[in-house]
Amino acid sequence: MLNVALAKGRLADSCADLFVRCGIRAEILKEETRKLVLETPDKKFRFFFVKPTDVPTYVEYGIADIGVAGKDTLLEAGADLYEMLDLGFEKCRLCVAGFPEMKGHLGKPRLRVATKYVNTAKKLYYSRGEDVEIIPLHGSIELAPLTGLSDVIFDIVQSGGTLRANGLAVLEEVFDISARLVANKVSLKTKAAEILPLLAEMKKHIGE
Amino acid sequence: MAYFKLPQGVRDILPDECRALDGAEAALRGKFLAEGFSFVRTAGLEYYDTFAGIESAVEQSKMFKMTDKDGKLIVLRPDMTLACARIAATKLHGERARLCYFSNIYDFSAGGNSEREVAQAGVEIFGEAGARSDAYVVAFAAECLKAVGVKDFIIDIGHVGFYKGLLEGSGLSEEAAEELRGYINAKDEVNVEIALRHSGASERAQAALLALPSLFGGAEVLSRAEKLTDNALALSALEHLKKVYAYLAETGAAEHVSFDLGTVKSLSYYSGMVFTGLAEGVGAPVLSGGRYDGLCAQFGRDLTAVGFAVGMGRALSAIGKGGAKQC
Repeated sequence: MLNVALAKGRLADSCADLFVRCGIRAEILKEETRKLVLETPDKKFRFFFVKPTDVPTYVEYGIADIGVAGKDTLLEAGADLYEMLDLGFEKCRLCVAGFPEMKGHLGKPRLRVATKYVNTAKKLYYSRGEDVEIIPLHGSIELAPLTGLSDVIFDIVQSGGTLRANGLAVLEEVFDISARLVANKVSLKTKAAEILPLLAEMKKHIGE
Repeated sequence: MAYFKLPQGVRDILPDECRALDGAEAALRGKFLAEGFSFVRTAGLEYYDTFAGIESAVEQSKMFKMTDKDGKLIVLRPDMTLACARIAATKLHGERARLCYFSNIYDFSAGGNSEREVAQAGVEIFGEAGARSDAYVVAFAAECLKAVGVKDFIIDIGHVGFYKGLLEGSGLSEEAAEELRGYINAKDEVNVEIALRHSGASERAQAALLALPSLFGGAEVLSRAEKLTDNALALSALEHLKKVYAYLAETGAAEHVSFDLGTVKSLSYYSGMVFTGLAEGVGAPVLSGGRYDGLCAQFGRDLTAVGFAVGMGRALSAIGKGGAKQC
């Protein structure tokens, strides 16, 4: 049996569609339920519903053999995993955003950056040799520049609606993000007979 | 101060688990001695420079550092292979040596799925070269896992020379190669392709590097890889692995073996064949090893060398999951 970690919410729905197209009996994922563990009727797959940021953890520890997580989550977690497929959905961008007048002032000394992607932001600014103050937040990141907590934010932007509604704008696009299929480094070898055909099948159906 | 607390990443091993650990060590002790290995206990404290001053330095962030009375920087033993290589090169005078150990190593930066104090059982062979010796070590590694009671496992073999060879012809800068290595190691084909797009490497070199993440599986991988390159170093690595596989087939150990040419770790002392032991139900390798000719030379005497270490904690958890061998 293959153990699959899925992020709760919209990502899980997109995954369910893809799995069904691949001939997996994943209809169960679409049912309204409060169960955290679901098995397909043929017992070939067991799905765990976890918090999106916990997907890399479940896969790195080998509790889940494979999982689906956003590239932003993977960048931030830095877990030791195989990143096997770009599933092409849940596309967005990791951006630096703030008041439009900040454009051209991103290099100012000790720029204050609010983000929930602390590790990714640190790595980014470190690689550029820029000395910034990273302010860790867990949600409503856009509020930080509005209230003066930070100069800019570093966050994912999908439609940009929240930014616009608050008078903010994208100042720099840094990473393209989409959902990725990840695999545990041991499981890929010890369960190759189950995982490899699945990957081949998924590859065919990506983007449909 | 709460006296019952322990620092993060270390733990006490209590009687029940200690019995299991001792049992596993006893099984390995028998194996090691029967094959002519001699036990060593290396110093727990060593000079920082021993590990930082060599070409394949241990990362600074991985070492527990202290300052000695004379102001010199010392570290808690970070790696047993380096310690054994230092001993073989500087304290033993023969052309050959077979050393083994049960020892803890310390990794300052470990976290997540790995601990900071790691109990290892390992062997290091000095002065034995060639494919037959490599095959012997792989087969012995499989024997050791069986002796401990690990049932469902794979020894996954790669070779440092194949990737090195592919890079040789590619014209990639050191920086670009390091970035690429990270992507290949994560089997991240998307980023490998992006990184190669602007690299200026020839089409054939790009195609070969792009194929690396998928070059894993049975022995047929070696034949598949052969068609991808004309580089002499890369081809000789494949030739070598084929020989190793042929010897393993003779001894019946081939059933446990798979290949992965896309395992390309960061700067390490390994010079040729590398391998990891993968057990079902344990998310990280239970064993790792390889050939490291050239390392002893850095300690003053050139000796060929090959070895491996079993991570005892992970091996025991593999037994726990797969069902312990009845004995």
